[in-house]
Amino acid sequence: MSDPMTHPLLEIRNLSVSLPKGADRPFAVRDVTLEVKPAEILCIVGESGSGKSVLTATLMGAAPKGLKVASGHAMMGGRDLLQLSERQWQKIRGREIGMIFQEPMASLNPALTVTQQIEEVFELHSDLSKTDRAREARRLADEMHLPEPDRILHAYPHQLSGGQCQRVVIAMALAMSPKLLIADEPTTALDVTTQAQVLKLIRDLRDSHGHGIIFITHDLGVVADIADRIAVMRHGEIVELGSAEQVLKSPRHAYTKALIAAVPSLVPHDRPAPDTVAPALEVSHLNHSYGAVQVLHDINLSVAPGQVLSIVGESGSGKSTIAKTLIRLIDPSSGRIAVAGEDILAAEGQALRGMRRRVQMIFQDPFGSLNPRRRVGPMIARAAVLSGASRSEAVARAKELLELVGLDRSAYDRRPAAFSGGQRQRIGIARALAMRPDVLIADESVSALDVSVQAQVLDLLADLRKRLSLAVVFIAHDLRVAAQISDEIVVLSKGHVVERGPASEVLARPRHPYTRDLIDAAPGRDAF
Amino acid sequence: MSLGSFLMRKTAIAVATMVAVSFLIFLALEVNIEEVAVKVLGQYSTAEQRAAWLTQNGYDDPFLIRYLRWLMNFVTGDWGQSTYFRAPVMEMILPRLAASAVLAGGALLVIVVFGLSLGVLAGMRPGSLLDRVISVISVVTTSIPDFASAVFLSGIFVFWLGLLPGASTMISGFSLRELILPVSVLGLYSMGYLARVTRASMVDVMGTHYVRTARLKGASLSRIVLRHALRNALITPVTVIMLQLPWLLSGVIVVEVFYAYKGFGTLLYDAALNQDIYLIEACAMISVLVVVVSQILSDLIYGWLNPRIDLGAKA
Amino acid sequence: MKALSRYLATPLVLIGGLLSFGWLLVAILAPLIAPYDPLQTIQPLMRPLNSGPNGEFFLLGTDMLGRDIFSRLIWGAQTVVIYSTLATLTAYVFGLSLGLVAGYAGGRTDAVLCYLANVVLSFPVLVLYIVIIVVIGASPLNIVIAVTFSSAPAIFRIVRAITIDVASRDFVNAAITQGESTLRILFVDILPNTTGPLAVDFCLRLGYTAITIGTLGFLGLGLPPPTPDWGGMVNEGRGMAIAFPHLVIFPCIAISSLTLGLSLLADGLREVNDAKERQA
Repeated sequence: MSDPMTHPLLEIRNLSVSLPKGADRPFAVRDVTLEVKPAEILCIVGESGSGKSVLTATLMGAAPKGLKVASGHAMMGGRDLLQLSERQWQKIRGREIGMIFQEPMASLNPALTVTQQIEEVFELHSDLSKTDRAREARRLADEMHLPEPDRILHAYPHQLSGGQCQRVVIAMALAMSPKLLIADEPTTALDVTTQAQVLKLIRDLRDSHGHGIIFITHDLGVVADIADRIAVMRHGEIVELGSAEQVLKSPRHAYTKALIAAVPSLVPHDRPAPDTVAPALEVSHLNHSYGAVQVLHDINLSVAPGQVLSIVGESGSGKSTIAKTLIRLIDPSSGRIAVAGEDILAAEGQALRGMRRRVQMIFQDPFGSLNPRRRVGPMIARAAVLSGASRSEAVARAKELLELVGLDRSAYDRRPAAFSGGQRQRIGIARALAMRPDVLIADESVSALDVSVQAQVLDLLADLRKRLSLAVVFIAHDLRVAAQISDEIVVLSKGHVVERGPASEVLARPRHPYTRDLIDAAPGRDAF
Repeated sequence: MSLGSFLMRKTAIAVATMVAVSFLIFLALEVNIEEVAVKVLGQYSTAEQRAAWLTQNGYDDPFLIRYLRWLMNFVTGDWGQSTYFRAPVMEMILPRLAASAVLAGGALLVIVVFGLSLGVLAGMRPGSLLDRVISVISVVTTSIPDFASAVFLSGIFVFWLGLLPGASTMISGFSLRELILPVSVLGLYSMGYLARVTRASMVDVMGTHYVRTARLKGASLSRIVLRHALRNALITPVTVIMLQLPWLLSGVIVVEVFYAYKGFGTLLYDAALNQDIYLIEACAMISVLVVVVSQILSDLIYGWLNPRIDLGAKA
Repeated sequence: MKALSRYLATPLVLIGGLLSFGWLLVAILAPLIAPYDPLQTIQPLMRPLNSGPNGEFFLLGTDMLGRDIFSRLIWGAQTVVIYSTLATLTAYVFGLSLGLVAGYAGGRTDAVLCYLANVVLSFPVLVLYIVIIVVIGASPLNIVIAVTFSSAPAIFRIVRAITIDVASRDFVNAAITQGESTLRILFVDILPNTTGPLAVDFCLRLGYTAITIGTLGFLGLGLPPPTPDWGGMVNEGRGMAIAFPHLVIFPCIAISSLTLGLSLLADGLREVNDAKERQA
């Protein structure tokens, strides 16, 4: 008999999952061999399309339609999970394997109260009486550190915050104390401070209950915070598997190295401070309210040409509202926004149209920001025409810009559907630059991208800033990304600027407690 | 409180709609007073007779005054005299409305029972054979005009099988047998429509994250459907049922005419054929009122079923 | 081309296409295929597959005025295709333009237009038609007017909803920040992105309109006789249907097959749209 604490909970041997015919590769998951031990967190890391979610769905007997297990075994407690019938699965799910999901709010039934949903696990897997079930639900709520447990237990999911919902989902997954817990990007949809709390909760559970945990994520910072062992996946295969220490500190595979290199560091770049020149963009006393709720309080900003200003904040901080006022998609309640000394809030009609050229935006969603019906080249050329170029000039400029942002000239006649997320962001940048703007706003422009693509787009932005001497306003929720790109950082909380200063200053010596919280919460800050 | 203010707001919107509708109806039917006189007194009346009648009945007043007077009369229950039937309009409409309510009620029952259950069955397992069959049935029933399905059903059950009567005049008192065909024809269209809506809603819900959560908790398919999917999936279709009332009202006219059923539909139809303008006005007002009230009911049901909607807070 | 092949993949869509385009073909070729003049009275109440006094062959029999039902059905296809298409198109002109404006402009313009649409839509369709026909009379033009008046608000609502959805996407915001003109945003950026769902709606609405014209004909409020009109044929034959079912059965089959075809076609288009969306 081997020691129960080191004997693996789950052993996956040569697992392959085939994709339907006509997909871009034959296997979603190929020849994966892994094991999970009790009281250990195994992180599976990969970018989108790596097959990590298909792998875990298969382990729960819930592979997406059209995908088939082609070969392999997944042994747990003497049984092969891949051979179970749906009826046998029903006994195992929730009892021996619990699962936590990416979208906590959507994972809860909107029509049932929290306690009903937690108690259901006991209804399914135990003989507990109604009162016992309620008591157990209450115990779990306490264990998950839910604030005001009595109110939350009887609330509906829509009355809870994202972090609270995720705790409820974890409570359901843990209700029967399953040996194995599978967490699929459980913190991706959460704010960074909430994420830190949920990560701590998961670590505590491993230590106190000895769960074996498979934790899937794309975020290497999170991995560094939580992993005991790491499996790096790419194109459905595991390219590297080892202890957290080994994989993060001395990665062997080139892809792992590239991934780690692409993680933006919290240590700011050491670019010299720019010379003080007249600001390209100057925002003063900006206030805005939606109805009775004031979302921006006396915001003052300025950016010089060739300089990058980052506005950092969590969801609801008002950072996107600032972006929208800067391009006048929203007219603020009061304030002044001057571009090269001219107030754009005062302009109307034709004058406004002329002025819009000077401030251009790169949007967050690479899929929503390009008109799917228009070809890429003419789209960029149209922007050039609107900025006053002649027809032939515009076409030439569009071709030039496509090259400048690193795309092939053949992109000119294609539609957006032909491009990946990162390429679309490049097209968005080219379109913005075609207007010859003075100021470029990047609203979470890299947050929808995989980390390696993110790094490339950030490099491109930094390069363009220098070459074209653009003033860039970079809006982000991620301090690391901000640290890499900005000269100056402004921290926004609930519509107030709580801290501002040179990037190196703010990161090294934060003055406001909120900034300190943000920095402390940044996952894996010791590792990178 | 919240429910009260919700109802107040909805009622205010309904009243605003009714005012506009009444204006439209009055404008359409009574702006040309010469026509009114011809329609009321008949084509063979003399010009003097018409002029005298118009003066006598206040038609010399400006249009707006006449409209407001008409509206006041309508609200206070004076709906005028039917020129064709020579009877007070209100006394004629109410029993006919009740007769049509029986018809529509029966149809509604068919629609709800069959529409919802077929939709749920189809949507539980999208792509299955059962789903395909039900989908075809609902496409077919929603595509055939009421009068054509009346012809087909009568052809089968009256002429071929001889099982049911071909008319529903109810001459010798109320007869359930005479109701079967008109109710089926009336129910058929909306049943198919409701089944499609329910199926779509069910398919959506079965694909949600929370249904996946339930499955990964270890719940069986029947439990997932009954406890997790159904309540969420039925919100839209149940709301839609109320919104089918205007369709039913249109169908009522066709079906009643086809089966010679003495209801609201045949009354409106006779009124139209005989240019009986006061009767038409009242019938049109009543049918719009039914629609407007059904919309309020539909909103109420939606709010009641959906815990995310606070009726008081909803815009 | 790829879309077309995918679209013909399911047999139901194929049936829908065959029915719809089949009737379209019949309507176009009516003068060539109809064996007799649809208004010519030959021999009353002949049953199907019988021959007339001068050796005329009546595939589907004749009506009580002695007109060949087969020929009237064929010419009736022309009637329904012409008036349904015309009425649906004019309804689209109004519904589409107002829907785009309301959905994009929002605010007061939107509120007023929505209110007006709601007023019209709170009439049960047939009641609205009856009122309109009583006031303006039954003539081909008036039927087109009545359909436009009652369908345009429904189209308006759909277009408005899609416009609001499309206008909220960032590519429209991008166009605004480039200083693009409103007209160009409406017609170059928004309109092309609405065509998928609108094509589905157009098919369905064509079917509704055919049903409406048929129903009005059935009620004796439709195209005035002797125009060959399917609904009108059912109305005329209704009194004698017990003895001569062929008077009503064939026109009912004709209209049902047309509207069923259009529904199936709409379903097929919807599937293509969904598949496209999933790909994107």
